[in-house]
Amino acid sequence: MAKLTRDDVLKLAQLARISLSDDEVTEFSEELSAILQYVEQLSAVDVSGLVSTNQVTGLTNVMREDSIKDYGYAPLDLLKNVPKTQDNQLKVKRMIG
Amino acid sequence: MASEDTRRQYTVTIGIECHVQFKTKTKLFSAADNDAREAAPNTLVNHIDFGLPGALPVLNKEAVRLACRAAFALNSEPQKFSKFDRKHYFYPDLPMGYQITQFDEPIVLGGSIAIEVAGERKTIGITRAHMESDAGKSTHPAGGDYSLVDLNRAGTPLLEIVSEPDMHSAAEAKAYARELWLRMKYADVSEANLYYGNMRFDVNVSVSKTDQLGTRTETKNLNSFRSIERAVDYEVERQIQVLEDGGEIVQETRGWDDTGLKTFSQRTKEDAHDYRYMPDPDLPPIVLEQSYIDEIKASMPALPDDYRRILSEIGIDAKTTSDIIAVPDTAMTIKHVYEAAGGPHAKRVAFWLLQPQSDDGEAGTETEVKAPEEQLIKLSQMVEGNKLSSTAAKEVLAEVLKTGKDPEVVAAEKNLLQVSDEGEIAKIVAQVLADNAKAAEDVKNGEMKAIGFLVGQVMKLSQGKANPALATDLIKKQLGM
Repeated sequence: MAKLTRDDVLKLAQLARISLSDDEVTEFSEELSAILQYVEQLSAVDVSGLVSTNQVTGLTNVMREDSIKDYGYAPLDLLKNVPKTQDNQLKVKRMIG
Repeated sequence: MASEDTRRQYTVTIGIECHVQFKTKTKLFSAADNDAREAAPNTLVNHIDFGLPGALPVLNKEAVRLACRAAFALNSEPQKFSKFDRKHYFYPDLPMGYQITQFDEPIVLGGSIAIEVAGERKTIGITRAHMESDAGKSTHPAGGDYSLVDLNRAGTPLLEIVSEPDMHSAAEAKAYARELWLRMKYADVSEANLYYGNMRFDVNVSVSKTDQLGTRTETKNLNSFRSIERAVDYEVERQIQVLEDGGEIVQETRGWDDTGLKTFSQRTKEDAHDYRYMPDPDLPPIVLEQSYIDEIKASMPALPDDYRRILSEIGIDAKTTSDIIAVPDTAMTIKHVYEAAGGPHAKRVAFWLLQPQSDDGEAGTETEVKAPEEQLIKLSQMVEGNKLSSTAAKEVLAEVLKTGKDPEVVAAEKNLLQVSDEGEIAKIVAQVLADNAKAAEDVKNGEMKAIGFLVGQVMKLSQGKANPALATDLIKKQLGM
């Protein structure tokens, strides 16, 4: 893996919805590259014939019956954690439409 | 507008992704009420659907069962192994910051459904179908600089059904969507009410002059068959126009404006790998036993094609068949009558229960008819045995459907039983012939059209109770024919 370019870092920042100053872009392209290079050591391992590990618990089919459960609090209380609300709805920056 | 000639140079290719809401009582990963249709905003939410840190999703068993039924309705089989993955993106209607979906090992792989367009039957391939959770619902108050989000719908179980790009016209796209709708209804996996958004369609369209596929656009969230047809027509025309003007098609997501009847650009689509899919560590995989799969297969009801075959055996035309099949209860009743009493009775009952359907599947177009088959058969037998006229039968039927009473009792109460007593009808015939000397003369002179009028008069005078066949015989007899 080559060094991360400025464009790579800007794209990551956009996906993460954070804004970066020019200095930060330079700083992070170096730091993130170093992290990638470190992790890249794993590429040396021969994994042909191995199945990827998605789960380590060995559990399967953890399911519940389809019946409504009272979780013991008023659903609207969850809105108390929301920065802005209006008419019991989450108020956010305008999306499309 | 591109000319007909120009348009003919392009091949249109269409693939459809359809989101079907399952009719479970609770959500996919939480035990919150799943019926958000009439609920006040954010009253059917909990810490799981709200994406609070540490909340643990637990899979709804019923959603898995319905996904398996859907697999069979798509001419496929559920996969013995499937798992859930996280699909990451930021959007205000997605509180967790990722959607739980199935990426590389979905519950359904492969399948097909047949459609018919302009008398031609064609098979559309199904690539895959996977379970995932729905997002919240947002509204954008006019004039405001904000949007409002209601998370009642967040976590509703969906099956996303992905077709192969096998459709090549708006009519085929519409037929596919409609067939999918019917199958989901018959398989009983969804309320399949388009008005409530129980099924939503994303339509991928591209045009090309060569063997290579053109760049596609995706028009999202279409919720009626008519809008699918119109959106495809619009997109094809727009793309051809752009290309003919020397431009390029941008791969993007578009919306559909149902009032202006046009698509509009929404955002350029993020590349698939930007979603940073990863296996969801909170959700162990689903492993299905063969016995479980077999049991579901054995429990599958008749599907639209089975009904089409039966209705064609009964001798019902294609348009009427389509109207009947749009209302599963009616189709099922006709099938039961057919099995219990045979084709002629089934055909009569079919026309009784038939109600013209809008082909758009919108709410309110369905009046489901519920009447015990035995009573419908009995009523049909009364008509066959000349105990009831067909007009009277309709009146009796209405009452039977309303009250569930025995048709013979209803017919007697309403005094509609046909009189087959020759003496009584003969008197009425004599009266009618005396009152309508001109028509009687015409019949005598061989103008058989007039006999219908005379029979009508007999029916009228007898208040519909005379047996028309007997009346006809008696008219001829009294006229010495």
